[in-house]
Amino acid sequence: MKRRGFIKKAAATGAAAFVAPYILPSGRLFAATGTRIVDHVVFCLFAGGVRNLESVHKADGNLMPNTLLGNESISTDIASGIQSIGMAGSQRLQEVGTLFKEFRFNQGPTGHFSGHSSVMTGVYNLQDINIRQRPQTPTVFEYYRKHTDPNASALNAWWVSNSLGPYPALNFSTHPEYGALYGANYIQPSSIISQGSYDALGNPKVFTQEQQDKVGSMRTFFDNNFGNQEVLGSAGVTNTIADKVAIESFILQAFEAAVAGSYNNPWGIGGLSGDQFNVFFAEKIIEQFQPELMVVNMQDVDVCHTNFTGYANNLVKADYALGHLWQTIQSTPGMADNTVLIALPEHGRNAAPNTVIDAYGRYALDHTNDDMSREIFCLIAGPTGKVLQNQVINQVVGESIDVVPTIAKILGFHDQIGGMLPGQHLDAAFV
Amino acid sequence: MKQIKHIALLFLVAFILLPFAGCKKEKDIIYEVNDVDINQPNANKDYVKSLTEFISIAYADLFGQNISQTQLQGLAVPYSGFGDLKLIEDMIIKNFLNNPSVVMPTDEVMRTNVDQFLLDTYQKFFNRYPNEFEIWYLKGLINDNSDITPELVYYSVMTSNEYRYY
Repeated sequence: MKRRGFIKKAAATGAAAFVAPYILPSGRLFAATGTRIVDHVVFCLFAGGVRNLESVHKADGNLMPNTLLGNESISTDIASGIQSIGMAGSQRLQEVGTLFKEFRFNQGPTGHFSGHSSVMTGVYNLQDINIRQRPQTPTVFEYYRKHTDPNASALNAWWVSNSLGPYPALNFSTHPEYGALYGANYIQPSSIISQGSYDALGNPKVFTQEQQDKVGSMRTFFDNNFGNQEVLGSAGVTNTIADKVAIESFILQAFEAAVAGSYNNPWGIGGLSGDQFNVFFAEKIIEQFQPELMVVNMQDVDVCHTNFTGYANNLVKADYALGHLWQTIQSTPGMADNTVLIALPEHGRNAAPNTVIDAYGRYALDHTNDDMSREIFCLIAGPTGKVLQNQVINQVVGESIDVVPTIAKILGFHDQIGGMLPGQHLDAAFV
Repeated sequence: MKQIKHIALLFLVAFILLPFAGCKKEKDIIYEVNDVDINQPNANKDYVKSLTEFISIAYADLFGQNISQTQLQGLAVPYSGFGDLKLIEDMIIKNFLNNPSVVMPTDEVMRTNVDQFLLDTYQKFFNRYPNEFEIWYLKGLINDNSDITPELVYYSVMTSNEYRYY
């Protein structure tokens, strides 16, 4: 009996040794084995608070002609306050993907940062949010970078935000097993491409490669002699030396282009709005680096707190930007037909207006947790054969926290984070 | 029983006398050397400089004067707008170094007395003296490489991890 027990244990040990996971240099037990749907995801937070009523339900006409099918005319009372921009491309995004018309931001306060944080971490924030702190749960960037094999560099992950405040903190979390090491490159283009930044960064001392090598040697010496451990994340996300050089060069080129006037009317529609400029710069990053995961947001529609017609007008501009973003993706080698674009608002707006009336006689709208402020849409566009084309889902399907698992599925690391997130991947959108 | 009483009594006496046992006035010993304010190499630098601290200190270190509020605000803009702070710091330092107003010893001055240059540099930027090993290594590096300039040394120091801490 003892002998049989011994043989059993020995066999079990042998089998365990045989299947024992190979510990990778990254510290992970298994290499990522997930199959990718495509190699790139661009996630556009069509944020600022967009009601389904004005977007997919077209209560005031089709204010999103680059995204939605239909030629419903804009309500006559506000039509003169809406700038007609037209189409950025020949196709409407709805035609090249799946539109979830009744998506939901189910839990947590319907605030901008709360909405951003929930959709970028895949977890609703149900407690008070400290906007001075990073999220406690990992962001989609960290899941992606940690669980992609080989580990993806920060150059592959970008968070392009249209505003400062708490938003820079969304490029990585304080989670002890993730954090800065797996964070994204955060950039706020309107801060970087500014006179202040040009004055500060635009005229650097140029060193030769040989000089830079010497500097590298000395800096390594200083760092090795610095007894204190560097606090991880104290300098934000860290790029490799080669990537730093590439990013610096990219920023300096952007300065040159801005100074030369190339950014004054780059889309041929006149000066760009804040949202449009943010997307425009995201496109520059796409063209330069072809990142595997990018999150870019827009928020200009939030003027709706005081100006409904301005909100509708900014919805038109944001829609144009989204259409232009798709066109850029499709004209970028490596990303064309190899990218899924996801777009959704972070939350909606209230059914009942506040007391502010705009110049067109329309009441303004806040977003304070009523049912309508939780109603949003979600568009998933992508290549034929990967994403179901021209599909509209009219039932209540999907919620904000499903976006991270969906990105994980698209980029092939869903199995690695299985069970860590409450959301589901949005299978209904894919072939 | 009697033995236990004795032990208890001993403890009581010891407890009463204990506070007086250690009270011996300490002698003031003077060794007749001057007080020197020295921070040890790798002295405790546990705090990361804030955005404004880093820029203000770097500016003062290179230009020998305080940065104006307007300049500080201008420099803070890119700092807030990009997630890799070391990259932005690196770019800010390179822009500072390209300014003709930078106060820096010449290459000749550095090479005339490398030891003094290193002492000055460490004090200025790291707020401490270099240890013997640091002097030996860097002195050798400077002496062996005629293309290492004070500018390169300053740039290396100011983009090192230690410079980000205080």
